[in-house]
Amino acid sequence: MVSPQSDEDLVAKTLEGEEVAFSLLHDRYRQRIYSTVYRIIQDAAAAQDATQEVFIKLYRSLSDWNPRRAKFSTWLYRLAANHAIDCWRTRRRRLEAPPFDASDREYIPERSISDAIFTPFGVLERKEIVEQIRRRVDDLPELQKKVFLLRYFEDLKLEEIAEMEDCSLGTVKTSLFRATHSLRRALRRAGGSR
Amino acid sequence: MRRPRSRHYAEEELLMHLLDEETPDMGQVISAHLLECDECDAISKEYADLVERIHTWAVAEVSEEVWQAQKAALLTLYRQDFAGGRGKGIISFFLTSVEAAWNYALEHPLPTLGYVAVVVAFALEQTISTFRLDRILPRASEVFEILRQVF
Repeated sequence: MVSPQSDEDLVAKTLEGEEVAFSLLHDRYRQRIYSTVYRIIQDAAAAQDATQEVFIKLYRSLSDWNPRRAKFSTWLYRLAANHAIDCWRTRRRRLEAPPFDASDREYIPERSISDAIFTPFGVLERKEIVEQIRRRVDDLPELQKKVFLLRYFEDLKLEEIAEMEDCSLGTVKTSLFRATHSLRRALRRAGGSR
Repeated sequence: MRRPRSRHYAEEELLMHLLDEETPDMGQVISAHLLECDECDAISKEYADLVERIHTWAVAEVSEEVWQAQKAALLTLYRQDFAGGRGKGIISFFLTSVEAAWNYALEHPLPTLGYVAVVVAFALEQTISTFRLDRILPRASEVFEILRQVF
């Protein structure tokens, strides 16, 4: 059995010009990077373009990654989140209303969730909840948005995010709490809270 | 109703406890408190429910064909960059800087125009004489003269 290569190995080989190594890094991270980018930009086509740009930036700045400072994945998420926020900012300036992608709005995952959410009316309720979350996230200040998405969806620890953002753990905790709290209020207002 | 023996906890502390992000010594204390305090326990459960709802936001997977097309384009670029010497030394630094400056100029055209105007203005001899910059920077005119001869 061939043991999976570590990120560090793949990075070193990518830096030496080994195409296969870079291809493996792309396969390993593409969907996760796309998800992070999508949740910030909230448009499928733009998120695909931005994901591609993240990978271009990745190999061009790979020599900047310092394994003693951050895990490769953490460094990559930072790169992706920052790039996505730049793209989101540019798009927001261009478009008056935040873009919601109709093709993705209908998407409901197959995985099971609690019965409380999946009631007979649950599908409709969940769509509304997801819509509320999307709107709320879109309106969050940049740091809160990054912390919220990286903590809840990429499972990064707050300490890692604090290091990545070069700010204190307290600031990151407060950002996450504010983002979560404002979402809680928004869902309550929309009648989504039981 | 259960009566707590310790203080109520702030919502932020309860959320951090839920996410396993509190300081190690606080974990057990808050867990014990939640067992005896209905109020904090209710808030904690509400946040647990909210976190579960947040996780219902799933992103549709991109099709394999799209990924393959993207990867092919990406690898072509990677190959070209390597063949062109990007990723090595001073050329890489120069190319990256030019690219970054270009991207900045595209995203912020007005400030860029301002910077260019300032640089041009300083480079003009007339500016030096009008504003008597040679008094402030006594060797400025000599530097510009050398630059003019070089270019």
